[in-house]
Order: sequence, then structure tokens, then C-alpha cells
Amino acid sequence: MSFIFKRTVANAGRRAAFRPQAGLPAFRSLHTSQPSTAQSPSPLPSSSTDPSNPITTIANYGSNQQSLENPQNKVEYVLSTLDKVANWARQGSMWPMTFGLACCAVEMMHMAAARYDQDRLGVVFRASPRQSDIMIVAGTLTNKMAPALRKVYDQMPEPRWVISMGSCANGGGYYHYSYSVVRGCDRIVPVDIYVPGCPPTAEALLYGMLQLQRKMRRSRKGVLWYRK
Amino acid sequence: MVSLHRTIRNMRRVGLREWWRQMQYIGDAKSGVLVGKDQFGNRYYENMNGHEEVPGRQRWVDFAQHDYHASQVPPEWHSWISHIRKDPPTNDPVIQNMTPPWQTPWVENLTGTRGAFKTYNTAAPKINAWEPKTISRGA
Repeated sequence: MSFIFKRTVANAGRRAAFRPQAGLPAFRSLHTSQPSTAQSPSPLPSSSTDPSNPITTIANYGSNQQSLENPQNKVEYVLSTLDKVANWARQGSMWPMTFGLACCAVEMMHMAAARYDQDRLGVVFRASPRQSDIMIVAGTLTNKMAPALRKVYDQMPEPRWVISMGSCANGGGYYHYSYSVVRGCDRIVPVDIYVPGCPPTAEALLYGMLQLQRKMRRSRKGVLWYRK
Repeated sequence: MVSLHRTIRNMRRVGLREWWRQMQYIGDAKSGVLVGKDQFGNRYYENMNGHEEVPGRQRWVDFAQHDYHASQVPPEWHSWISHIRKDPPTNDPVIQNMTPPWQTPWVENLTGTRGAFKTYNTAAPKINAWEPKTISRGA
């Protein structure tokens, strides 16, 4: 007798699992412990080998940047395409204002020389701040030089970017405790790319330029204007 | 070096489709031996023929991602493509035997994303951004 009872209970549980969950069966199914389908969101993976879903995309989940890069209507689609065209034009002709202050400037010259050849990326040194997009702060920024740096930065037309090159420009570096040195050029101008090193190699600076190109490509100024 | 003859020759070797992809991403028509593929799907090529490729351009990578950059090459393949090691990591006994099992997977440069490196800091910022204030000129 008890055997039949057990069979019935087991079959009832099995039947309840396949039944649409409504009314009394739903109430009955409360007694069975079913795996909950709504799992808590799993933590994001820390690495990815999928080229269509790379780690840079995963790292941007839920960010404003990801929202900007995915147009939500036709106007945004057009505007983000126009933004991409503008970004393409900007990244193809980056003209840096050279602010060579110390030994980093020598590495900056190496970037312009034959081996690393910045001209193939459209990067041309421009001596006038009024005709340049980027300022490469290469070397120790002293208190005495700081007002001049700010004035040169103010003379550059928008949009403008700043690359801080080397330890001294990043945060004072070797001269951090000196009485006459600015502890990082980001106290004077807003910095986009920090290139570490003392001095950074020309290759590192060129990689910094490529990272700045990446940053330019991320710009969605038109979409931002439309959403505001 | 780049010449019309070389371009046509490499185009015939790799096919139109691959040539078009090369022109979009590499900017040059190249043909060589497919040496291997890393875990991200980047393909690595080699052409050691001195008459076909100038030294320094003998090894190259065809990136899997559209937004490619150099840090997508994992360190094992970096050492091959930079001529630090002679053999590719697929048949380099040193790399195969010396890679520790607890080695963390390679992650490309996350600059500009939320995963970017940030120095550990609990102190309140002592320095704030400069906000220019102008004193209005007295009449």
C-alpha cells in the first residue's frame, strides 16, 4: 500500500513539472523544489577569447560609453555615423604641438625619425599651437614653465588633446620632491594619455598615440548633443 | 618592397577575398605560411624568402578583431613575432614546458574602458582641478 502511495506522489511531482504553472497546480508545485530559472547575474568574466565579444566590450557593460555607441533610433544612427566620419578624419591627421622640456623630447624626436616614422600615421609636428590638435608634454614641468604651458594650451583650438610623456610629466617623477617642479602636468592641463617611462621609448610614445587614436574613435559628440 | 609585380603576385597567391582584407587591415598585399593561430583567433604568418619580404616584415599578424591594436598579441606570440624566439609557441619546447599552469589568461590593454588600471587609493583627493576664476574689473 505504501509502495503505491509513493509511486503516486512521485508521478504527481513529475506531472507537475510538465504542467503549465497556473491555479491549483501552481500551488501544488510550490511543494516541489524546482531549480530557480532567474539566477542572480553572474560576475563578468575577466578574460575573453571571443573576437566578436572581446574583453574591452565586456568591460564596458552598462557604461555610458556603451550606451552612446549603440544608437537607439534613426537620428542617433545618422549622428553616430557622422561622428565616426569626424573621428576618422581627426585620427588620421593628429598634429602634435611639441612641448619638449627635457630628455623625453629626444625620444619624441625618435618617434618622428625614420625608424618609428610618425608621418605614416599622419602625425606631423607643428610648431604653432594655433594649428595643432595635440600637445605632447615631454619632460619635467617646472614652476617657471607652467604658466607658459598653460598659455600654449589655451591657444590651441578645440578639440585638443594632451599626452603626458614620461614620469616627470605624469607625476613629478624623479623631481617629485623638488621645490621648483610641478608634480604632474595634470595640475596645469587636462591630460588624455599618460605614457609611463623614464624616458618612455619612442615605441611607447607611438603606442600612446595609437591609444589616443582609440580615444578619438570613441568620441560620440553628436549623439551626446542629441541626447541632451 | 611594394611593387605592382609583387602586389599582383601576392594577390594571385592569397585570393581576392584575402587580398581585400589585407588591404583594409594591413595595407599591403602579403603572402606567406600560416604559422599558427592564438587563443583569440589572430593568425600569424611568416615569409622568410628574402626576395619577397624585406627584413623586419617577414613575420606579421592578421588580427581577429576589427578594432585591433598591438596588445591583442599574447606574450608567447609577441616573442615570436618580435624575433625574440625562433620557433612559434606551438612547437617551441621551452615555452610549452616552462608555462606554469597557474598562469593567468592574457588580457589586452583595457585603457579607456571600465577595466582600466587605477591605482589603489583610499585617501581623499588633496588636489582638485583648477577652476579659473576671473575677478570682474572695477568700474
